[in-house]
Order: sequence, then C-alpha cells, then structure tokens
Amino acid sequence: MTAASSEAVAGAVSPLGRAGRGPHFRRREKAWGYAFVAPALLLFAVMGVYTIAYGFTLSFARWNGFSPRWIWVGLENYIDLLGGSPVYGPPVRAAALNTLWVMIAVPLLTVAVSFPLAVILNSVTRLRTVLRSVYFIPYVTNGIAIYFAWQYIYEPNGAINGVLGALGLGSLQQPQGFLGNPATALPALIVVMVWTAVPVAMLLYLAGLQAIDPALLEAAKIDGAGWWRTNRSVVWPLLTGTTAIVVLLNLRDALQGFQVFLIATNGGPGDATNVLGLETYRLAFLSELAPTLGLASALGWMLFLVALVIALVNQRMLRRLR
Amino acid sequence: MIRHRRRTPRPLVGLAAALALAGTLAACGSGGGGGGAAPGTTLTMWTFKQSHLSALQNAARTFQDKTGVAVNVEAVTPDSTFLARVQAAANTGDLPDVLETHTNGDDFTFGGAGLLEDLSDDVPADWTANYRPAVAGEGTVTEQYYQQSLASGSKTAGVEQGQRFSVPLTIGTFGIVYANRERLAEAGITEAPKTWEDFVAALDAVKRARPQDGGLSLGLQSPSTGLEWVMQPMAYGMLGKQPFEALFSNDPAVNWASPNGTRVLQAYGQITPYWMPGTQTLDIDSADIAFAQGRSSFLVGGTFTLAFLAQNGFDLNNLVTFPIPAPSGGAVSDLSLAPFALTGLSVSATTEHKDAALQWLRHLADPGVATQFARDALDVPPTELGNDAGTVLGPVLGTMVASLGEGETAYNPGYTAYRPGAYDSGRVGEVLMNYTPLQQRDAEGAGHDLADLLGSYWSEER
Repeated sequence: MTAASSEAVAGAVSPLGRAGRGPHFRRREKAWGYAFVAPALLLFAVMGVYTIAYGFTLSFARWNGFSPRWIWVGLENYIDLLGGSPVYGPPVRAAALNTLWVMIAVPLLTVAVSFPLAVILNSVTRLRTVLRSVYFIPYVTNGIAIYFAWQYIYEPNGAINGVLGALGLGSLQQPQGFLGNPATALPALIVVMVWTAVPVAMLLYLAGLQAIDPALLEAAKIDGAGWWRTNRSVVWPLLTGTTAIVVLLNLRDALQGFQVFLIATNGGPGDATNVLGLETYRLAFLSELAPTLGLASALGWMLFLVALVIALVNQRMLRRLR
Repeated sequence: MIRHRRRTPRPLVGLAAALALAGTLAACGSGGGGGGAAPGTTLTMWTFKQSHLSALQNAARTFQDKTGVAVNVEAVTPDSTFLARVQAAANTGDLPDVLETHTNGDDFTFGGAGLLEDLSDDVPADWTANYRPAVAGEGTVTEQYYQQSLASGSKTAGVEQGQRFSVPLTIGTFGIVYANRERLAEAGITEAPKTWEDFVAALDAVKRARPQDGGLSLGLQSPSTGLEWVMQPMAYGMLGKQPFEALFSNDPAVNWASPNGTRVLQAYGQITPYWMPGTQTLDIDSADIAFAQGRSSFLVGGTFTLAFLAQNGFDLNNLVTFPIPAPSGGAVSDLSLAPFALTGLSVSATTEHKDAALQWLRHLADPGVATQFARDALDVPPTELGNDAGTVLGPVLGTMVASLGEGETAYNPGYTAYRPGAYDSGRVGEVLMNYTPLQQRDAEGAGHDLADLLGSYWSEER
C-alpha cells in the first residue's frame, strides 16, 4: 500500500474511526475503563489484599480480638505451633495426624467410589438423567442438614446400629454410637466427607468418559477386551488427568475443611476428630477469650503453605501426564 | 450503582447531612453522662441468654413506666455468636449501651480492652447493699484477678485492681444433679442421695430398672462439664479446700499424679457404667434435652439448667435436685455449693446514655424487680431473698437456692485463682474424658496426663 492510498483509507474512516479520536477522547475512554474496573479492584483491595495482609500481620502478634493493641511476638506463634509450646504444640500434632488420615482416606475413597459409579452411570441407557440427579443430591443438599442427618444415623439408637442388629451383626454395633467411640469417630466422619465429595467427582468422570473417542473402546472390544479389561486398561489411563483433579480437590478439602468436624463432634470425643482446620477455628473463636487469634492466623498460613505445595506438586504431575 | 451514587443530586446530599446532624444533636441532647436520664431516651441492651430475654423485657416495661426511658433488649445467642458480635461492634463503634456478660470473665476481658465503663465510682454502697454479701463485690478486679491478668497470655490483660466492670444480675452454681422423680421412685429411691456412694447406688438402681433410659446425661462435647460440674465438687468434698486446690499445682507430691489425685479419679470413675450411651457426643443443650425428653434419668447442670428444662417441657414437679455429694468419710462431710455471680450487667464505654444505663442497672438491682426477673427467667437473683426463697422463687428453684452454702464447707466453682493463668478447662476436660467415659486410660494414667497438661500451663505462665 502506498502512502497516498494509506491517507485515502485514513481519510475514509476519519469521521468515526481511530484517526478522528483525539487525545481528549482517549483520556475519556481510559477514564471510563478505569471507572468500570474500579469497583472490582476496590472490592478486591478491601476483601482480598487487605484481609490477606491483615491476617498475615496478625500471625506475628498476640491478640484476643477485643484489646485495642496487638502485642508483637515475632515468629513465636509459628514456633509454638510447631512444638515450641507445651500447651499449643501437642493439640496441633494430634490434629495434624488426624488431618493426615483424612487427606489419605478421602481422596482415595472418593476416587474408588466415583469412578466405578461414573462408568456404570455412563453405560446406563434408561433413567440416566434421573439417576445422575439422584447421585448429585448429596452435593446440592445443605451441608448442615447433611451433617445433622448423619449424626442421627450414627447415634447409639441410630439407623446403622439398628440395621446391624436386625442383620444379626450385633457384635459390630457401637453401644456409644459411631461418633462416641474414638476408634470409629474419625472413620465415620471420613465416610460423610466421601459421601459429599462423590457427586462432583462422579460428574467430572462422566464428563471425561464422554470425551473418550468411541473408536478406542470399539478397538479394545475388537481386540477381545471385556468390560473389566477395557475400563482398567483403556478408560482408567485416559482419565488420569481427571483423577488428578479429583484428588487435588479432595486433598484441599481434607486439609482445610472442618465444618463436618465442628458440627458433628466438635473435635471429640476427646480430641479423636480434631483436625487442623478445626484447631484453627478453635484457636480463633473457641478459646474462651484467650489471646490466640495470632496463633490461629499462623496455623492458617501454615495450612496455606501446605496447600500451595500440594497444588504445585499436582501441577507438575499433570504437566508430566500431558 | 456507582454512577447513581456519584450523581446523587445535591439537595438530597444536603438533606442527608441535615438528618445526620439532627440525629447527632438528638443523641447529644438525650444522653450526656452529666445530667439525669431524659425521658424519651432509648437504651439498647444485648443478652446472650434466651431465657433472660422476656424477663428483661418485662423489667424494661416497669422501668419505662417509672422513668420514661425505654430499653430495647436483644438476645444474641449462642455465646460464640455473642462474642463475635461484640467483637465486630467494638471495631465499628456499634456497641449497645448495656451488655449482659459472664461475671469475672467476659466483663474483665471487655473491660481490659477498654470496651466497658469502669463502674467503681458509680456503684455506691447503698446500691450494693441490695445484693447478697457473698456476691456484692463480684465484677470488681480483686488483687488475685489483677495478678492473673499480668501473666503471659492472660485473657484479662489490661485490667487494673479496683476497677468494676459489672454488677451481678444472676447468681448460681454448677454441680446440681437433676433426677427424674418418678424413675427414682420406680427404682425404690425416695430421698435425694446424701453421699457420693448413695449417688452411685441411685445411678445403679435406676439403670437396672430402666436399662434403656436410666443413665446420666451430660454435655461432654464441652469436655469441661465432666471436670467442673461433676468431678471437682466431689473432689473438694473428698479432700477439703487446700488439698483440692493443690491438685492443680505443679507439685507431683500433691497434684493429679499423686495418690490424692488417683483417689479422686477412682471415685469419679465409679459413674462410668451409668453414662447415657453417646453422652460424649452431646453438647450441653442436647444433654438437657435428652433428659427433658426422658432419654436419660439423671442430668448434671447448674442452677440455670432449670429454666432450660422448663422451656423444653419438662414437668418441674417431677424433679429431684441435689448438689453433687461428697464421698462418705470425706474431708467435708456437709458439702454444699457456694453461689457466685454467673452473669452481670455492664455499661459500654461508648454509650451516650451512661446515666440512663446506670439507672437501668440499679432498677434491676431493686429487690422487687430482681425477684420478679428471677420468677420470669426461672433463675436466681443476686439480691437477698431472706428465708422465704421457696415462696418467692417456687418450690424447685427455692429448694435449690436453700441448699446453697457459704464458707469452707461450700465448694465455690467461681473461685479459680489456684489455677494457672493459661488454664484451658476444655483441654483439661478432654484429658479427663479419656478416663471416663472413653476408658482409654486408667485412673493413674489419667492423673499423670492431667498433671503433665497442668505442668505445661504453669511453664507457659513462667
């Protein structure tokens, strides 16, 4: 294009086009852009940056939430939680052990239940939508209602003891209820967590299953692979990425979630179901007005670091799988 | 939204400013600390006890008739929500004029943080003369509380000796056994147990007669209940004041790891077979409800439990109440429970109606008003009731109040100066739960665990 033709084109668009927009117009346009983005930025600054900075700073202080001044303690809160304090160290250690069990059991069991369930639901032709909706109910039901319902199921006169008695399996009954025995309380709550985690995991697997090229399954069938062999050797490896996501999501929930533990047992009996998320909550809000908000904040940041490491490891694994 | 706000017409801005100014002037005019409370003033008050709400509202009506000052009472429950709301309101400057607080607890924490008025110069002797002498001074920072406030990690940091942050509203005690009268009779028990052994025998008899619902319920999801409501009164009766307090010391010769500690734990362990199944999973309200619904035959609570049972439909005529008894041959043969101020009334430091707030507090301290409040709330007032507590408060509450005592033979759960400042009764209760009802430790092992935990509190304090 020659210079003359360029000018001609520019001239042709000048009344409404870019060439006609002067510096004043551009400034106004910029200002409007900032104005539209400002509320979101402001909201993020207040709700995000401010609270994160506030929480982080608090982790180096001692405060009960009421006094006008914080007492700066440096790294003492972190040291206390890591064993420096005979008061705060042992409960955190016990809670960390319980959390570890939850982090191992919940993702594994969720995958173990949701993958076969998704495969079965994917192969069902009649009532498929109804069945999928039914299996999704635990996810859309209010969490608190679910936890209370499970409490009734687990109590000494609850459904599970009733069924065990009716089946002649009285030796398996728990006279103190499944949440009243320290040996069964944590596994019982893990079951509740898995029950609420399965719907989303199942949905992810269903999405993955539908993305698999039918030709691959056809080829496996032609090669003589049965239902079991096809799913084990073809479908399962193809869904490794989905499995990694399911595992990561549940690891995060297992690490930081504590609602079920708070509502169903409050960490009891004794400290049998105390987990790190609940310990953080206890230090913050259930410490009988002791100045432990800084400890709670420090524990929260330590949990965040662990979550970050898990996320990085997962990301690397996913990259390698691709 | 934003654009709309930015384009608010100027006349509207002016109107809003005028209204705000008018509101401020009105607030200044109606309050002001200096003069008396102006009729037309409205006070705001928060209580954390639902059972006190209507009783306070009734008292507020008589107060308004008398002074023209209205009081808006709001219940903020449960305790954790109340604390969170106070915390938020303190940060935003929205505290109510008056708060009901736990005496010698929240009031000191809030007061130490500067959220409450120091009432030491506002509560004269002719006001406190209305109260029972044993509780008249409660809410005041004594030397012991002041020393505790100086410890590292203290919950009451910032208080000064002699400050007063509340006046009593209700008194009472923990360690009251509630038993189902009909079921006791069914098991052949017609009198309230007088000794720990009698109590265990009664538990046994009722459990035998009613294996399904003959047990003892207690809200052990809050583990301190087993410790403070059952074991400590019994231990005090068994050992007497000094050896009891020594159990919480750092000296292995006399603390929980000692033979004294083991003896106490062994006696406490006698109730293990009689817990209501699953009581360790119940919170305090659920345990009370289990008793009210007949799922248990015994319940341990405080004087305040009676109102909750009544609210939940339990027939109060079907109740037998008695304090946790001492073991026979114990150091205190005639053990009783000393009353202490459970809740008090505090005035927020940000109130613009201090005079009206003080008038309201004094109104509630009037013996007639306090008695009516107690009847309405089924709770125990801090005022002198004389010898006719039964007539004033009704038979059940009256009997309970009459059984309260004072002096060396009375265990006072409100006195805690012998414990380390960082003491957390919930954690200590958890360790005790491993002994009973969970049976994961024997008496000796539990004693050592308790001594170790207390040792950690003492070392933290140093």
